[in-house]
Amino acid sequence: MSPPEVHHLFHHPIADHSFSADRQTLAVAKENNIELYQRAGGKFQLKDELTGHDKTVTGVDIAPNTGKIVTCSQDRNAYVWEPSPEGWKPTLVLLRINRAATCVRWAPSETKFAVGSGARLIPVCYFEEEDNWWVSKHLKKPIRSTITTVAWHPNSVLLAAGSTDGHARVFSSFIKGVDARPEPSAWGERLPFNTVCGEFLNNTAGWIHSVAFSPSGNALAFAAHDSSLTVVYPSAPEQPPRAVVSITTQLLPFMSIVWSGEDEIIAAGYNCEAYRLQGSEQGWQLSGSLESKGRPGMQAEREESAFNMFKQMDLKGKVTDDTKLKTVHQNTISTIRSFKEGGGTVSQISSTGVDGRVVIWTL
Amino acid sequence: MANVNWRTINVDALDPDSPANFDLSSLTPAVAPVATADVQALAGQIRQLMRGGDNEGALQGALENPPYGADDRGKEVHLAAVIEILQSIRQSDMSPILQRIYSAPGGSEALDVLMKYIYKGMAQSSTVSATRNITPQATGFSQIHSRGGGEGGGQAMSVLLSWHEKLVEIAGPGSIVRVMTDRRTV
Repeated sequence: MSPPEVHHLFHHPIADHSFSADRQTLAVAKENNIELYQRAGGKFQLKDELTGHDKTVTGVDIAPNTGKIVTCSQDRNAYVWEPSPEGWKPTLVLLRINRAATCVRWAPSETKFAVGSGARLIPVCYFEEEDNWWVSKHLKKPIRSTITTVAWHPNSVLLAAGSTDGHARVFSSFIKGVDARPEPSAWGERLPFNTVCGEFLNNTAGWIHSVAFSPSGNALAFAAHDSSLTVVYPSAPEQPPRAVVSITTQLLPFMSIVWSGEDEIIAAGYNCEAYRLQGSEQGWQLSGSLESKGRPGMQAEREESAFNMFKQMDLKGKVTDDTKLKTVHQNTISTIRSFKEGGGTVSQISSTGVDGRVVIWTL
Repeated sequence: MANVNWRTINVDALDPDSPANFDLSSLTPAVAPVATADVQALAGQIRQLMRGGDNEGALQGALENPPYGADDRGKEVHLAAVIEILQSIRQSDMSPILQRIYSAPGGSEALDVLMKYIYKGMAQSSTVSATRNITPQATGFSQIHSRGGGEGGGQAMSVLLSWHEKLVEIAGPGSIVRVMTDRRTV
């Protein structure tokens, strides 16, 4: 296992990040703007800045094939940015929400995307050729509170959403003329728009921070603010799920989860480090941290000279400087994403957090 | 009409889609209602076990059946029983007992329940001492009062604090987060 690749971009929280398909361009949300970094050698250099939002940007996603960037912000708007000879050209999306947008993700088909919002609804946005305009259709019922996270099923029709009402839900976002009719799956057979294919609540009804479908789409995992991770295995349409496995951890809550295979999830959050969880329908358990102890640059306490020790005690009132965490990230990790994958397994992930670092981990 | 104060109108009540207009109980996990008499019977059984010297069994029994669905009276009764058990267990026995409960099936859940009772006990012992010495400023720093006047409150607090310390060692900060998050209260 090679050591993680750490890039400290700036001293600001990173709300969300996304890499381009070739992993050479990195988009990060920094305050009201999106910064685009280009990999040059072993470093990321600031290349461009997308300005247009006038409140904190909460989500950014680069479509892997078309290269379009979608962003959303607390100013209740979303933009789709397309490259043009004069630079990045934004198109406003008609979200029709009266509260902040909280998160945004492209569907795997890249013809539409979903935006989570504080208005208790999810605009599913698609391009209207006739009007040359991105329009939205609202997923509304039975959402009772802010949507904090959305995740797509590989078929681009099913959408999972986590909410502060403690429910993780699976919706159909089928839009006629945009989507091909999906194959029937364990989640449902006929899937008109706004079909609720599943609604799950964990024991404590803590709010949901992150949801994710397994690579095959046949299982759903969600992490909640009660430091738990729940994995749901559906059985058949309109039937109770085959298994719902919930594990509570001793750690602080997870903010973001990524399936690295059908039987492994990487989760990270308020503990400032990423953890590996393994399991199946029979049960899940925490199998360890991605941090390797004794990593270079994190050497054990050096022998201090007596002079230095007394100097420190005089200056700071203590001998050792204990303001640095033992983890790579020095604050909450807010987003983790797959960085390199192949054959249904993820071999590298990228993480960003409140400390302004981007870290690429090899699993 | 002219002197309606627009600022005091509850706009949420006028919006049919507003959260003020739906049943909030759908957001919370379902809990079965429990009669106070049942809670009292359970508390009786727990005390029986304690008299028999089986403190650990009593604690386990109390934590496995938290009366989430009981009314305030029932919850008080169960809290009193749990606090009584906690006070009757010696400090040196705390960690081994917690360790055994944790490794039993459903142990993590039981320890979360214990954490809830510890916090509830702390809240309660400070109100008791605050009412005992009524002072013009209620600052919330009530342990200062209990140290001066209410000896009983201070002692109960120190027992709860040492339980809290031992419990966090085993169940981690996750347990504290769960108490804050959980909508099922004790």
